[in-house]
Amino acid sequence: MNSRKHSAMIVGLSAAMLAGTLAGCGTSTSAAPPTKNISDITIGTLYAGSGAYATSSLPEYAGLKFWASQADKSGGVFVKALNKKVPIKIVAYNDQSSATTATSLYSQLISVNHVNVLVADFGSVLTSVAVPVAEENKMVLFDQSGTGTTFFTPNNPYIVLTSLPNSGLWPDSLAQYLIGQHYSRVAILYDTNDFDQSQEQTLVSKLKAAGITPVYNSGVPTSTSSYSVLLNNISHANPQAVIEFGYPNNDISFLQALKASGAQYKMVFTVFPGQLPTLFTTSDGPSSINNIYTYPAPPLISHAHVNYGMNSSQFIAAYKKATGQSTNFLNIAGYNTGLIIQKTLETANSLSQLSLRHAVSRFSGTIETLDGKFQINSEGAQTGETLPVGKFTTNSAGKVSVDLLTPLS
Amino acid sequence: MLEYSIVAGILFGVFFGFMALGLNLIFGVMQVVNLAHGDFVVLGGYLAVIAYSAGHINPVVSLVGAFVLFFVIAFALYFPVIPRLTRSKDPEMLSLILFFGLSQIIEALDVIGFGNNPRSLPLAIMGAAPWHFLGQSYQMAWVITAIVSLVMIGATYLFLYYTRIGYAARAIMGSREEAAASGLPVAQTSAIIFGVGIGLAAMAGVLSPFMIGSVDPSTGLGLTTIAFAIVVIGSLGNPLGSVLGGLVYGVSVMLMQTYFSSWSDLVPYLLLLIIVLAKPSGLLGKGVRNA
Repeated sequence: MNSRKHSAMIVGLSAAMLAGTLAGCGTSTSAAPPTKNISDITIGTLYAGSGAYATSSLPEYAGLKFWASQADKSGGVFVKALNKKVPIKIVAYNDQSSATTATSLYSQLISVNHVNVLVADFGSVLTSVAVPVAEENKMVLFDQSGTGTTFFTPNNPYIVLTSLPNSGLWPDSLAQYLIGQHYSRVAILYDTNDFDQSQEQTLVSKLKAAGITPVYNSGVPTSTSSYSVLLNNISHANPQAVIEFGYPNNDISFLQALKASGAQYKMVFTVFPGQLPTLFTTSDGPSSINNIYTYPAPPLISHAHVNYGMNSSQFIAAYKKATGQSTNFLNIAGYNTGLIIQKTLETANSLSQLSLRHAVSRFSGTIETLDGKFQINSEGAQTGETLPVGKFTTNSAGKVSVDLLTPLS
Repeated sequence: MLEYSIVAGILFGVFFGFMALGLNLIFGVMQVVNLAHGDFVVLGGYLAVIAYSAGHINPVVSLVGAFVLFFVIAFALYFPVIPRLTRSKDPEMLSLILFFGLSQIIEALDVIGFGNNPRSLPLAIMGAAPWHFLGQSYQMAWVITAIVSLVMIGATYLFLYYTRIGYAARAIMGSREEAAASGLPVAQTSAIIFGVGIGLAAMAGVLSPFMIGSVDPSTGLGLTTIAFAIVVIGSLGNPLGSVLGGLVYGVSVMLMQTYFSSWSDLVPYLLLLIIVLAKPSGLLGKGVRNA
């Protein structure tokens, strides 16, 4: 009996661990036509319909679809290589937040669906597997929000970061603010993934350059959901400012535990309240982000000068009309990716992948969208956008507002 | 920091021991591997969130509702499913497949019904003031959750050791064939234990937002893995083993978070590996299987 039970348990555990890596469900697909007779531009992408990244991936995918529907309403996008407007067709698969599943689906988009344009799923974890696949297949990867610094190397011309700056640049304004406030005791808690580690490394190096050594600096797995002991450990370091770099689920659990601990610090910073404020206020009430510092992103902030695509207010109204949903940053990120693809097709002399990539370099620095200035460096990393530091305030009626503490650009 | 980690680990571990209790009960009586265990925990979490957001019902009250509701659901699920499994040549393997499918279905229904966003409860529901102990402050939500978990573990113990159904359940855990030969109502007892096991999972789910921050449809798989590790560490088929396994898990996680935080994710797998190699029957294995 015991041996049967043990073998069953081993198989059970294996099955449980494999469960998260099983293939996702497909959506509509069809092979792209030969380039000579092209009748539409096929954009291949992945989205996380379930799992840890669904919260962020689905709104980003919705933003991309919204862009495609808007483009198709006006007869498609102008493709310079064909000298005509061509409709957009999106081929998308559900990777269920699994990097393993995503790897095979990215390959499928390239080798089976023969997509013209490859777009990565949300975030660094699901983009990290797309980078080598795209490079190996010599496809330009339009990377929406995978900001890990390791993706961008001098030898890989097949990547363009569209809607967020390289995560190594994110903490620039944060470091400036901390130094400007003369906070000498800074605690940093970060998730051990490309996105968060890049930020931690940049912040630490900038603080050290200013003579500040963090009094606490510790990495935790991205799956961490219990922060009480970590917060207790942080409190022993007696910091003035506590910086937490995580994904939305981490930020929610961290802020909850912080509130319950009763600990007070001059400054508490987390990343995602600035991108997904509604997620936090509906999860734990408006007070959960009161006095929390963050990187406020559109639509919380609005870029005054937009010379390509809709501005913030136009987008919010059009998106609401088309989908019935309110706008969050990730909708804007997906829409912005669409705009960058549109400009690329308008600029490229041919539909070869290197021609697309060269086209991006040509218009880099010349367009400003509702997401800010689009500018990439030679490695394809976004350098035009800046993420300011802001502070949330909640009034007695539960209304949330954000004050910018560093310049927008 | 060491004292805090140990006390917090005990509070955390008591909850996780309670969370794994239902899995252990069901396996002990039916040799059914419930891979959907974590998904029932998540469903309990959703019930608590909805009850609180819609009617400001305190989660402690929702515990009772969760148990009753999921006992009934599990009882109804038992008769068309479990007897077929237990009559098969390889109930463990078939149950793995069946409950893996059920897990996927529940997760998909969670996405449809509740969306992908994490859902949570304000920890202040359980009291805003922290609990002071040995010069340290602990979240009141953790303390109350651990106390409720202990009460429920105690109630389960009393149920197993001082009720007719409990006697029958323990007899079936020893030998299903001998229990049947002795005239014990094996089918009815199994049905009740299945209901109790799922009901306990849902009750743990009601408390889960306080310990793991939030629940979302994908949380179930991780909870199932942790529950398996705890059950194997303690002892398969021994409810008290769940408690011991939970404590070992909880304290280990908190110590890892304090001293090797980047590696804390490995705790359940490391413990599992150590136990499987050093004491395959689990820490309390021998006593129960021969009881």
